[in-house]
Amino acid sequence: MSLALSTLIYEWRRYTAAVVALAFSGLLILAQVGMFTGIVQGITATIDRSRADIIVMGPKVEALIDSGPGSGVPARIMPLIYLNPQVVEVQDLQGNGSMWMNNPPPGHKRKTDFVQIWTVDVSRPDAVTLPVDYSEATRLALMEPLSVAIDKTSLARLGVKLDDSAVINGRTVHVRAVLQGYPSINQPTVVMSRDSYRMLGLKQDDTRLGPLMVRIKDPARAELVRSQLNAASHGAYRAWTRAELSKANRGALMKEQIIGVFLGFSLFLGFLIGVGITSQTLRGALLANIKELASLRALGVSMGSLRKLVLELSLWVGVVGLAFTGLFTWLVSLLGDKAGVPMGFPLRWIVTVALLLLAISVASGLLSLGILKKSQPADLLR
Amino acid sequence: MSSTTAISAKGLSKRFKTGRTHIQVLKAVDFEARHGEVTMVMGPSGSGKSTLVACLSGLLKPDEGQVTAMGEDLWALKPGRIDRFRLDHCGFIFQGFNLFSSLNALDQVALILKYKGFSRSAARRRAAVALDEVGLTHRLRQRPSEMSGGEKQRVAIARALAKDPQLLFADEPTSALDGETGQVIVKLLQRAAKEHGAAVICVTHDPRLEAYADRIIHIEDGEVLSDEPARQAPGPAPAVPHPELVGA
Repeated sequence: MSLALSTLIYEWRRYTAAVVALAFSGLLILAQVGMFTGIVQGITATIDRSRADIIVMGPKVEALIDSGPGSGVPARIMPLIYLNPQVVEVQDLQGNGSMWMNNPPPGHKRKTDFVQIWTVDVSRPDAVTLPVDYSEATRLALMEPLSVAIDKTSLARLGVKLDDSAVINGRTVHVRAVLQGYPSINQPTVVMSRDSYRMLGLKQDDTRLGPLMVRIKDPARAELVRSQLNAASHGAYRAWTRAELSKANRGALMKEQIIGVFLGFSLFLGFLIGVGITSQTLRGALLANIKELASLRALGVSMGSLRKLVLELSLWVGVVGLAFTGLFTWLVSLLGDKAGVPMGFPLRWIVTVALLLLAISVASGLLSLGILKKSQPADLLR
Repeated sequence: MSSTTAISAKGLSKRFKTGRTHIQVLKAVDFEARHGEVTMVMGPSGSGKSTLVACLSGLLKPDEGQVTAMGEDLWALKPGRIDRFRLDHCGFIFQGFNLFSSLNALDQVALILKYKGFSRSAARRRAAVALDEVGLTHRLRQRPSEMSGGEKQRVAIARALAKDPQLLFADEPTSALDGETGQVIVKLLQRAAKEHGAAVICVTHDPRLEAYADRIIHIEDGEVLSDEPARQAPGPAPAVPHPELVGA
């Protein structure tokens, strides 16, 4: 075992502050990434978990998120899609915004909120707009006229629980199913059958459809069919594969919303806090061992070797900090699971945070090198 | 045992600045130490004896004068070469033991040998021999916190001796130890001179150690007052094993 590693292990109390600072710097970023990714995954869940291989939207739409009414297409487009011999089923994803009012028990305040309504086709178990993770019980529950399904995380915000009633567009609806994994960062999402949607009078313009969900014969050929559809579109629509749209949705959320700024700021803050605390801790720990280091200098160990020793030590501190980041993040994700908040940790971000922590520790090591100047062996001769 | 000159200095001067005044710590000091001899540098606090050792060992550059160690003009070397010189030829024993608290006795000694270029296994073998020589065979796996002051100083001596230095510098090696343990330590220094042929230069103000010296140099106010052979040079230290060392 090297001197650096044995020092870190034996004098772990001295290095606790640095390890904790690094672990929390990592956690600060990863927990946010986890939550945002979870939210993004929740928002794009309708696409990610749909049975559609291709989605057709308005020509200038860059993502399903925040695209407004432009995400849909004129009704005349639907038959055009069927012209492709690969296409077996096309349905539009109907949606609208509406006011929501709960019916609170006596003595409680009424909650009013603007909700995003999405529809699913509950007429058969493998309908193209029915997400793959909806249980058969949920599908059957939504077949009841004016029944709705709400994600677990939106229940409190909307002031309801399973089997409670509420009011949408002047009609009473009943919460008959609770969904998992569809949280929303903006408006809460309410899911209902196409029939209920029509009964509530939410479908306004018959000439326009929502985004078209397209199922094809061979899902492996989705990219080819997407290209064929786009080639035949003459600018009237744009077809996406499910993976492309999902990626675009994630990108839209990270880039266009405040999330990107949050994460960038966290990264910056994590770096500053990490370097600040870790370098001070390292300096303190080195100062505590300065006489031992000076005696090595006296015995002929070069300054370069001592610098290497300090950098190795700082790297080990980084590795231990990284391990604790992993542990803390895991604990936070367990908490998230328990609270029904889905979290996602993309590999790209995990690698980024790992590199960041190692960069912090090495930068701290570099900042602490100045202390070695104090390791003057002549000072030991007093 | 050979009695050739190991290190010599001519006209060493050093002054330090304190505030607006300068203090002349060494005033044109001449010095010589031979292989196989224990040279004691004695004098009161502030007399300049530690500064002399620092200048002789390549740790502190003198303002004037020349140091010739092992045939090399020490202060004509570049700093990196001086480090290398110390690694190859010098051992140090300080008043404080300056041992890494995380390392056991064996690793303390093996560490410096690894820097000298020994493989891990060779370094450990050699470290074990050096610790055996100072009577610490039974304490190889102990860390400093589990050792007495005398044992720690013996580890420091083993660390200094393991690389077989031709110049061994000791600065007040016994002042943090009780009298009996101090004697054990100074006997070890004497053995380094007699059995390994090292030039041992020991700074002390403890008159009890005079009995173990071959030469005694008295220094005061930066000047050598006297440089004479010890009145009664004791014979070589007894050969290993040393039962009296074990209890230190």
